[in-house]
Amino acid sequence: MHERISDEIIEVLEATWTSEERGSASEQRIADEAMTDVTEALLVECEEEGFIKRFGNGQLKLTDQGRRTAEEVIRRHRLAERLVVDVLGMTIEESEADACEFEHLVAPGVTEAICTLLGHPRFCPHNHPIPEGACCRQSEDRLNSVVISIDRLPIGEIARVAYVSARNFPRIQKLSSLGVTPGIPIKVHQRFPSFVIQCEETQIALEEEIARDIYVWRK
Amino acid sequence: MSAAITEVQRDKAEGPVEEAQTASPRILLVGNPNVGKSVIFGYLTGKYVTVSNYPGTTVEVSRGTMRYGGKTYEVIDTPGVNSLVPQSEDERVTRDMLLSGKPDLIVQVADAKNLRRTLLVTSQLVEFGAPMVLVLNLMDEARSRNIEIDSKALSELYGIPVVQTVATEGEGLYQMFKTLAKARVPRDPLADRRRRLLNGANGGSITGSSMGGIFEAAAESGLPAQLTIEWLQTRDVNLREPVESSLSLSEETRAGLNRSLRMPMRTLGNKLDEMRNAFLDDAVSQYKKVLPGIAEEARDSQTLRFAYLFLALGLGVFLYTEFARLFNQIFGLNLVTPYNAVNAWFNASIIPQVMATLGGWKLGALGTLLFGELNSESGAYETGFLYPAVTQFFLLIAPVVIPLGVVLSRSRRFAEKLGYWTRGWQTGFPALIGVLLLMYEFVGVIGAGTLVDAFENNLFNRYLTPFLQSVIPAGGILYDFFVGDYGLISVGLTYALAIVLPIVFTFFIAFGLLEDSGYLPRLAILSDKVFRIMGLNGKAVLPMVLGLGCDTMATMTTRILSTKKERIIATLLLALGVPCSAQLGVILGITSAISAGAVLTVFGVVVSQMLLVGFLSSKIIKGQRGDFIFEIPPIRVPIFRNVWTKTRLRIKWYLKEALPLFILGTLILFILDRLTIPTPWGKMSGLGVIERSLAPIVTGILDLPKETAQVLILGFLRRDYGAAGLFELVRTGSMNAVQIVTALIVLTLFIPCVANFFMIIREHGTKKALFMLAFITPFAIAVGGAVAWVLRALNITF
Repeated sequence: MHERISDEIIEVLEATWTSEERGSASEQRIADEAMTDVTEALLVECEEEGFIKRFGNGQLKLTDQGRRTAEEVIRRHRLAERLVVDVLGMTIEESEADACEFEHLVAPGVTEAICTLLGHPRFCPHNHPIPEGACCRQSEDRLNSVVISIDRLPIGEIARVAYVSARNFPRIQKLSSLGVTPGIPIKVHQRFPSFVIQCEETQIALEEEIARDIYVWRK
Repeated sequence: MSAAITEVQRDKAEGPVEEAQTASPRILLVGNPNVGKSVIFGYLTGKYVTVSNYPGTTVEVSRGTMRYGGKTYEVIDTPGVNSLVPQSEDERVTRDMLLSGKPDLIVQVADAKNLRRTLLVTSQLVEFGAPMVLVLNLMDEARSRNIEIDSKALSELYGIPVVQTVATEGEGLYQMFKTLAKARVPRDPLADRRRRLLNGANGGSITGSSMGGIFEAAAESGLPAQLTIEWLQTRDVNLREPVESSLSLSEETRAGLNRSLRMPMRTLGNKLDEMRNAFLDDAVSQYKKVLPGIAEEARDSQTLRFAYLFLALGLGVFLYTEFARLFNQIFGLNLVTPYNAVNAWFNASIIPQVMATLGGWKLGALGTLLFGELNSESGAYETGFLYPAVTQFFLLIAPVVIPLGVVLSRSRRFAEKLGYWTRGWQTGFPALIGVLLLMYEFVGVIGAGTLVDAFENNLFNRYLTPFLQSVIPAGGILYDFFVGDYGLISVGLTYALAIVLPIVFTFFIAFGLLEDSGYLPRLAILSDKVFRIMGLNGKAVLPMVLGLGCDTMATMTTRILSTKKERIIATLLLALGVPCSAQLGVILGITSAISAGAVLTVFGVVVSQMLLVGFLSSKIIKGQRGDFIFEIPPIRVPIFRNVWTKTRLRIKWYLKEALPLFILGTLILFILDRLTIPTPWGKMSGLGVIERSLAPIVTGILDLPKETAQVLILGFLRRDYGAAGLFELVRTGSMNAVQIVTALIVLTLFIPCVANFFMIIREHGTKKALFMLAFITPFAIAVGGAVAWVLRALNITF
């Protein structure tokens, strides 16, 4: 990012991204969702800058360039939500306002540090996917994560559950009925052929996909 | 329209309530899975329901009665639940039971060492407002982990009696029984906090006005507030429906449930959940104490040390025997195993003569059967069944199993180690092979070998049938009916009692031991990745392994799988490829007599076809694979009394279920054999017509002798009956190795037996059952044909 993109444009890109996530984007939808007034002039500006493509029938989509920019913004926003909820212990509603500020302020390098600190989370507290950054793909952690998913927790180490970031509710319920809820100490016994974790006196076998959704605080 | 439906459904929901008021008081046993509800049910009612050491043993509700103080109570054992918010079919039973009318008494059976999970269920149960008793079971396991539970404080917290028990040992059970009379309507410690939260929610700050409608409706219908919120969030419509229909909701609220209320409901649900979690954390830290290692186990006990020594020796002997046998077969070596050595020594000694003389002395035929006899011509000793059965047991199985049991029962540390060894792959797979080998020695060698030999060759073929043949005048219809080629006794009973029963018997014992040890769920860990190829997850290993006992029972167990798609695939695979124990015994018995290659071919083909069909159906059948989240129970020492009871009941069930079908099958064959039907090819018996009309398939595609058609018909009545028939065909030498392999593959893959077919209809409906039938039958024949063709083309004769 050489020049600073205006906050209004960022809001439009963000709204377009989330709309596309749920299906397709339309000008009406974006006007409803964006945290700023979506004027015709603003949309024209976005198109001229090469971020979006408008089809004239009210539909629009992100261009490749727009997608790259939006991805970063979304990533920062959702990481910020995670940070505020997991580390500062605020509720999801409270986190919203802070996260919005945050996404406009933080530099790319800092984003990576936060992502690592949080253990490269894959979903935000609302269970929307967090776009991967370079740090997630590298996965070697220069900075020690505070919160990590249990597939990275060393075998035998006891850690407290920070959150379960499953996209489906039944999964969270199932885990919580077996005793895996925030605050509970758990331990990983083995990773292969399936994960086996222990929580209280219960041993639970899990597939890896689910293990990656359980995040813990390391001591 | 929709209002009318609501009315009808509400009437339905109210129906059972009225019934319950007139009937005897209901006592509901509720609790987490695998905590001993069924044992306590057995104690209260004197009725045995299957008890095993893995979650999900009880998938159906069992009812019994109990008398107390001159009154009769109905006691209901429910499937285990970790939460009253159901995630799968087997979990909904308990919830629906509670929805359908308030029980007169709830007995919560709990795992004392897992207090948090226990109290989660308690907190949900108290919302119903029925009198309750909390039974903290498995206290022995809690104590051996130095866990102490403050029952008194818990009792004050909820205002209900709390008792501590070790149900399998009978400890505390009488006290529990007496306590039932002191049951109280519980105090809900969360009530105030919840009310405050709900009031906030009604105020509109987070939720708007319509959320209020739900609470009012819940309160009016007498439903628990927090649970109602959680129930209404269930995604599966089938699971949600009973709740929606017992709530009297306004039209808008109902519509809102699916749309606008989603988010507020979720938010409120989360808050309620958080509040309860905080409460549970507090309760656990207050009432559960883990004492520092005072109860350090007596490691240096003399018995334990000896048991370890014997275990090491026994394992050595076992491994040596198995390897020696393998090397002897592959490399043609002649390594002496202890078993061979003892046999050689025995045969050379004078004992056989003594035994034969003793046996023939007073006991007559029974003596010969047990102790063996000297051949009247050659003078060689022919063993009875006692000698081989005893030596096989003590030389091949006991050296490992007995010390293992002793060590396990004395050292928790070892039980934990064993639990660890059986679930990691480096040790888990060798352990699995060891378990399979032990099973083979017990079921294959002792059951299918020694016992079948004793019963079939000796009892039936040498004594019973010849005796009857000499009594009943030959040539008459009676003769044919009882002891002819398709006679009730010479075929029907011989197959059922002499071939199948010994195998089933030994299998059920071995299987019961495995069930109670807690080993089976560990297979789920090892096999999850394989089952995923088939659109299933590791949990599916339970129905599959149970299928080896009986596919019909196993089909019912598929309910522990969480999605419909999984249940259909598992049912299909059970019907397609999982042989029942007798069939497995026959397959092992026949093929191992041919060569290791034959064994591998049969199992290789069957397993690969299951993988293929599973893979394809996971692509075709719509729906999702369920999550693999599976509780692994601790390794426990099986209680032989329980294994024995289970085996006895299963045998009884087998006789009741299978014997009539064996008789029916024999009758059908008998009648077909006697019918004379004029056909274009001349006059033929009914059997001849069937053989003739199936000939293009049996002799054409499959290249089998035409009599195999009979086996396939029997196979539809019962798979093990077909297998027994095949066993006989092979014995009489009418098939070559390739034909045997082909026939075994076809019979294994072939249509499910009648009972299984009806169970599929019951679980999935007629349409799906017929569809499965229509797929499996031609598929089995096609695979069999392909195997026969390939084997012939490659000129493999085994």
